Amino acid sequence: MSEKITRRNFLKLTTAGAATAAIMTGCGPSSRYVTREPYVKMPEYTYNGLSTYYATTCRECAAGCGIIVRTMQGRAIKVEGNPQNPINLGKTCARGQATLHGLYNPDRVENPVRQGRSAPQLSTAQVSWDEAIQTVSDALSKTNASEVAFLMGTAPDHLFDLVSDLTDAIGAPAPLRFSALSMFEARATLSKAAEDLLGQAGLPFFDISNADVVVSFGANFLETWLSPVAYTRSYAKMRRSRPRTRGYMVHFETQMSQTAAKADEWIPLLPGTEGLVALALGKLVAQLRGISAPRAFASVNVQQVVETSGVSMEQLTRVAELIAESHAPIAIPGGQALGQSNGLAAAEAILALNALVDNFGQPGGVSLSPLAPNAGAHHRPANAQEMSDLVAKMKSGKIKVLFIHGVNPLFELPQSFGFAEALHATPTVISFATFPDETALASDYIFPDHHGLESWGYQRSQTGVMQSVLSGSQPVVAPNYNTRATADVFIEAARLAGGKFVQALPFADEVEFIQSKIENLIARTDGSFIAPEINAFSAYFQQHGGWWASSAESDSLSAANALGKSLNVSSAAAPIGENEFFFLPFVSPTLGEAGANKPWLQELPDPTTTVMWNTWVAMNPNTAHELGIENDDVVRIVSEAGSVEAPVYKYPAIHPNAVAMPFGQGHTAYGRFAAGRGANPTDVLAPSFNEAGDLAFAGMKVRIEKTGKQQPLSRLESRIGVYGEGMYEEK
Amino acid sequence: MQMTVDLNRVGAKGAIAEAAEGKWGMSIDRDLCTGCQACVAACAMENNISFVGEEDAGYGRTQHWIRIERFWEGAYPNVKIAGGYQPMMCQQCGHAPCEPVCPVFATPHSDAEQLNLQVYNRCIGTRYCANNCPYQARSFNWRDYHTMPERGNMVNGKLVFPLHNQFNPDVTVRRRGVMEKCTFCIQRIHKAQDKAKSEGREVMDGEFAPACAQACPADAITFGRIDHKDSLVSQRSNEGRGVKHLEDLNTLPRVTYLKEG
Amino acid sequence: MIRKFFKWAFSPMGRIAVAIAILSLFSLAAYGLYQTQQAPEQPIQFTHKLHVGLGIQCLYCHPGALRGPSPGLPTISKCWGCHQQIAKTQTSALLKPMVEAMDKGVGFTWVPVAQVPDFVHFTHRPHVAAGLNCENCHGDMTQVTIAVNPQVMNMGWCLSCHKERAAGDKEKLTKLTDCGTCHY
Repeated sequence: MSEKITRRNFLKLTTAGAATAAIMTGCGPSSRYVTREPYVKMPEYTYNGLSTYYATTCRECAAGCGIIVRTMQGRAIKVEGNPQNPINLGKTCARGQATLHGLYNPDRVENPVRQGRSAPQLSTAQVSWDEAIQTVSDALSKTNASEVAFLMGTAPDHLFDLVSDLTDAIGAPAPLRFSALSMFEARATLSKAAEDLLGQAGLPFFDISNADVVVSFGANFLETWLSPVAYTRSYAKMRRSRPRTRGYMVHFETQMSQTAAKADEWIPLLPGTEGLVALALGKLVAQLRGISAPRAFASVNVQQVVETSGVSMEQLTRVAELIAESHAPIAIPGGQALGQSNGLAAAEAILALNALVDNFGQPGGVSLSPLAPNAGAHHRPANAQEMSDLVAKMKSGKIKVLFIHGVNPLFELPQSFGFAEALHATPTVISFATFPDETALASDYIFPDHHGLESWGYQRSQTGVMQSVLSGSQPVVAPNYNTRATADVFIEAARLAGGKFVQALPFADEVEFIQSKIENLIARTDGSFIAPEINAFSAYFQQHGGWWASSAESDSLSAANALGKSLNVSSAAAPIGENEFFFLPFVSPTLGEAGANKPWLQELPDPTTTVMWNTWVAMNPNTAHELGIENDDVVRIVSEAGSVEAPVYKYPAIHPNAVAMPFGQGHTAYGRFAAGRGANPTDVLAPSFNEAGDLAFAGMKVRIEKTGKQQPLSRLESRIGVYGEGMYEEK
Repeated sequence: MQMTVDLNRVGAKGAIAEAAEGKWGMSIDRDLCTGCQACVAACAMENNISFVGEEDAGYGRTQHWIRIERFWEGAYPNVKIAGGYQPMMCQQCGHAPCEPVCPVFATPHSDAEQLNLQVYNRCIGTRYCANNCPYQARSFNWRDYHTMPERGNMVNGKLVFPLHNQFNPDVTVRRRGVMEKCTFCIQRIHKAQDKAKSEGREVMDGEFAPACAQACPADAITFGRIDHKDSLVSQRSNEGRGVKHLEDLNTLPRVTYLKEG
Repeated sequence: MIRKFFKWAFSPMGRIAVAIAILSLFSLAAYGLYQTQQAPEQPIQFTHKLHVGLGIQCLYCHPGALRGPSPGLPTISKCWGCHQQIAKTQTSALLKPMVEAMDKGVGFTWVPVAQVPDFVHFTHRPHVAAGLNCENCHGDMTQVTIAVNPQVMNMGWCLSCHKERAAGDKEKLTKLTDCGTCHY
């Protein structure tokens, strides 16, 4: 031992040794120091280690499905369907399941803020709720009532009722409700057609479950259409609930949607010719059944329909035979058929086909949807025309204050409507957004509402069941952030403003308001429960997740009106030139209109293309070959209104003259999982409307330009890239 | 044919497993499946499955325990999805190819429940099992997806993950380097059995369902005891449309697919 | 590099260094293991001895054991239910955190003593139903203040008892030694 160990070296070594030891033992002891904090006071209905279940209503779309949320120690863990709710009978869709990723989304508006239109950043200028309520109160009381506008989403209904009461009382224009879903489903057109032919506006009920031949004209009722869970159940019943009868389904649509893929026959046609095909089918069915063609169908020239639509005579005759021989055929008008310049006529032609086979009010036929228990009339969301009118009013400075809740028009309305400029021209914009979406970030203030699972409320059924249903909401967890129910904000703001405002909303809080709206149901004995007075009734209402009529309603409709009308449908499919295509935007089946910020919805593969996390342009492989385009080549779609870029997906089941693109992506805000991802097909839509005021979005003519760029789409179907294979296999 | 099975010998090697008729099984009606992905989302929410993001998804690293497959047939305009949408998940084989290849016995066969297990704390991530699974039902945790910093928020200098609030406490949150797959919602099986036992009875048919079957709007998925002849799943599986996938590999899958038509 | 290291490691100073490294490694590992078996620091030096001695049943404060997986910690208001009637509560320094928590409505955190890793899904109910008493696993609480683990709660310990209890019954043994019974 010639060398001396200095104290310094010794310390160095021991430190190194201790560090190694800590690493080697895997920090054992420290990992044990998990701490547990017991409640100071145990909340009601909570047990250690056991789950508590709360019935409420899903708010991912307007269908109003009942859900039961499993909670544990104040956290929402899982969404299950409410087996009692007649709309969904215990089932849910993917969007309903992922609603928890909205509740616990890392990007929520956590405090009321003075946003100051500072997009794309969420402002940090926090305000107190007292200031916020004062702001709302001032905006209401210090503005001329005719210059206040309310723009709302299609859910929840109770807030719409509250705002309607307020606008009625102060003489402001009635609140407008809008959602991209209702635009792409052309609900106004369907409602108008029902008014014309069935005698009552509103969404008709299509009894798919008892039909034996279903002819769908682009109605994607297995995806997002109207009430998807209810209609999916109907579909399942139509296929398999009856001995020896398996319902047969024919689907007319330009591209094969997820729903079309479930049809026994998918018949592609040119967009805009659906109404003509319906008329031709009607004429043929009348011939086959040996009755003289009613007035509605008399004038159509079948041969001409064959030429314009691209459906062969053979196919038409075969479908007509199917209908003629069937006991309970039904024809369903979908969004793509109605969102055309001839949409209303097409809707009427398709409904008239139902009249011809005499299924109005019959099992397996078309009926009027029953009114929800506390509704006076069927409610219809704003059509695109009304939105365009609002934009014009805002631009001309006639709107001084705009309140926005539950809708994101900067994303959902086509850019060509000019909503961004309209917002600019509106002096005060107050948003109640839960998430930092595009419109919220372009507002003056954001006074965030609770998430749907933290909220009270109710939602009316509109279609999908023949029962009258009012689905109830209650908070399943305490609010995670410093948010407040918008209904409460309005009630308190009205109280501050005094006078006619507080007379319109003389309530202590949201719950009292809701009770006042369901009070009339106590007297009814035909419902899912009976209670003697409002407190007991409210308790049952929460416990059951709503109130509904215990039996299905039936109605008697006359087909005479429908058949006597002369229907004049012209083709909306104008001839296309060289390198021109019909453009078909459709709502993404997995994302819906507002699912892009929920990461698990992003990771759900699109059912037909299996693409995840992005937007694609679906193009027929032959067309792509002619244009020299391969999978993942980015193309620019150009219309008169604008352009959009997205990678191509060679889709084998689309008309060669059409391209399709899903709606749901292309956000510039809306949180980290949505922003800067994909493209928004509404960017190329021009503001042209049909007779019912709905946007004529389907089959617009576009050009396709190559960009020379490539962007690989993440698809479930191939394992691109791992070992290099499948990377551009078609080349 | 009734064979007595020495339960102690029905093990990871699966040598005698084929004689056992199985316990839990599933039937999936492809005529009813609409491809809506509700089962996929429900499964993810129930089982704390991580989403992997666009890039990793493109590399085929998605962690779906159940996925909807579709196969094209024909060419435009006579193109269709052959046989309808097909949900695919672990088939809980009676004679599973994944089981004998695990060097650390992290994929044992459950003798009590007749399921293929994945023991996360034993798994060392060789991925042999996934390599050997003919159904491609297994997925591997390539990263610690749940705790990626970009998924959290900085609150007072600490990274918090709001999404973690949703985790189901009945299911382990898997870390990087671990294989995982469908468990037939074994946590629900245990819960139902525990409840039934505490009430002194057997688990009733239809008393509980895995997350996928519970969510399915078309009721295409039926779950239950395939060793009970009167259970709904046995009746559906035996009604004549039933097909078992890759049966010729002698994997003895416990999932029966019902054909269209 | 490696050669250089070995050369250094065999030098006198190197030998001592390696020895120190190995020693500290083992001692730290041993210390870590020892730590896992020690009663951790708790916000209140809760005396089980006293409470059990007063005749309070385990399930009074930990009722979850009878119903489900977790026995749970009593809420502070439950402690308060008895303690508000005891004069010493307000004066005792030991009980100060409880009084404060009750006043402010903000709880404090305990450090769980008996716990299993999160890949083990232990549930109390069937164990209680099978006739096990709390002290079979958690030791005699009349003897301790802060709870300590009377034994290392690892898989070998679980399995030895499971095997013992299933003696002779093959079906039971299968169920009780199945990986999937605890790991999923």
